[in-house]
Amino acid sequence: MVYQKILVTSAGEYLDQMAKEVMELIADWNTEVIGLYVVETSTPILTSRKIKEMMKKELTEKGKKILLDMEEKFKGPNIKFKPLLKEGKPADEIVKIAEEEGVDLLIMGTGKSMVDKYLLGSVSEKVVHTSPCTVLLIRTSKE
Amino acid sequence: MLDIIINVAILAISLIIVIKSADIFVDNLVAIGAAFGISEIILGVTASAIGTSLPEFGSAMIATFTHSPDIGVGVVIGSNIWNIAGILGITATYVGLVRSNPRGIARDGAVTLITALILVAFMFMGSINKFAGIIMIAVYGVYLWILVKDQKKESRKNNTKIIEELNNKEENSKESAESSKNVKSSKSSKISKKTIIWTLVGLTGLIVGCRLLVYSGVELATIAGVPTMIMGLFTLAIGTSIPELVVTLSSAMKGLHDLSIGNILGSNTFNIMIGIGVPALFMDIPVEPLSLSFDAPVMILVTLMVLLLIKRGMKLTRTDGIILLATYIGYAILRLFVLN
Repeated sequence: MVYQKILVTSAGEYLDQMAKEVMELIADWNTEVIGLYVVETSTPILTSRKIKEMMKKELTEKGKKILLDMEEKFKGPNIKFKPLLKEGKPADEIVKIAEEEGVDLLIMGTGKSMVDKYLLGSVSEKVVHTSPCTVLLIRTSKE
Repeated sequence: MLDIIINVAILAISLIIVIKSADIFVDNLVAIGAAFGISEIILGVTASAIGTSLPEFGSAMIATFTHSPDIGVGVVIGSNIWNIAGILGITATYVGLVRSNPRGIARDGAVTLITALILVAFMFMGSINKFAGIIMIAVYGVYLWILVKDQKKESRKNNTKIIEELNNKEENSKESAESSKNVKSSKSSKISKKTIIWTLVGLTGLIVGCRLLVYSGVELATIAGVPTMIMGLFTLAIGTSIPELVVTLSSAMKGLHDLSIGNILGSNTFNIMIGIGVPALFMDIPVEPLSLSFDAPVMILVTLMVLLLIKRGMKLTRTDGIILLATYIGYAILRLFVLN
């Protein structure tokens, strides 16, 4: 089955590894790839307004760099790339965009250790349970 | 018992007042600076450099004016040890990986180490006097100038490389426009009465909050029968460093590693150069022998330690975090139960 509209989301880490695997899979497909980066805007209590602004600005610029990188990586004769930069909680935004854009495949990385998953949580785990479409998790590993 | 409960409550409330007041004060001060036409880069660098460290500075100032300078020195040295071994230790242990960049570490790491050495050199003179204060403030001025210069260079690079490329993209046009706006110099505008009032509210809150903080610290030390220096080194140092903990941990969790480590190193430089430098202009700051022979060397040791740990791969791992935390616990046990 060839998917018509794919949503690829990344926070930047392991993008090379992820893009390589995705391109091996979709290189010959006639498909639209939506690259998504979510600027996480939540901050702990007592974070100063200036720091919040600074974090948002830094993350927005990081997101733009990642989207440009994605555009370079997801190039193919029949692949149309569309970058999207959103703000909010990553898992919620990913699911929302998948619904809004009517994608039929959602691709993201996974590979946190058990300790990291316990301490930091896992976006992919949350998305898997609420995604409106098929989800492909690419196993990534730390350098 | 009631005395302890009341003073702990005053300590906790005053900490919240101090942290929120510092936030309000810096925000409105930046607005006043912008109205005077000061470039947004200079304002941004200064605000982020002093923002999280105002509680330490305020406490050191108030402690000096209320004739408890040792509590002020304790807050500064204690905060610097806690910032590196405690906060970076907690962050690296929790997040698992905190990256750094060579340029940031070379600049901020070297300056942090040099400022710690300058402080110890002045401590050897027996007390930190007006002359030492002037030197410290001048050194901080030079550091701030380097920061502004680097930030300008970085903004120019970003402007040409990334933002303009994405300005053409419809989906990102709004954010790009905002970013472009941020790197331009701010235009002068009138200062509103509201801004002036909030600046004064922030400043008043900071002074009142720090006064209460130092008062409760001294009271608790008296009740517990421990030197006020100990209250400064631990309770007040950890309390006034809550903003650093919040910024360092949350930015590392978001992958903003430069902000995470940079915030700690910048804060430590500010704490020494301004947190001790400015009070020294008003009064000679006495040096406690144990501070010179133990606390200050530990501060230098943990600074060196974190720089060496980062140098290995431009990152702090979970193991490094545990090493740092263990060092802090070891220091606290020695200082509280063996040397005290």
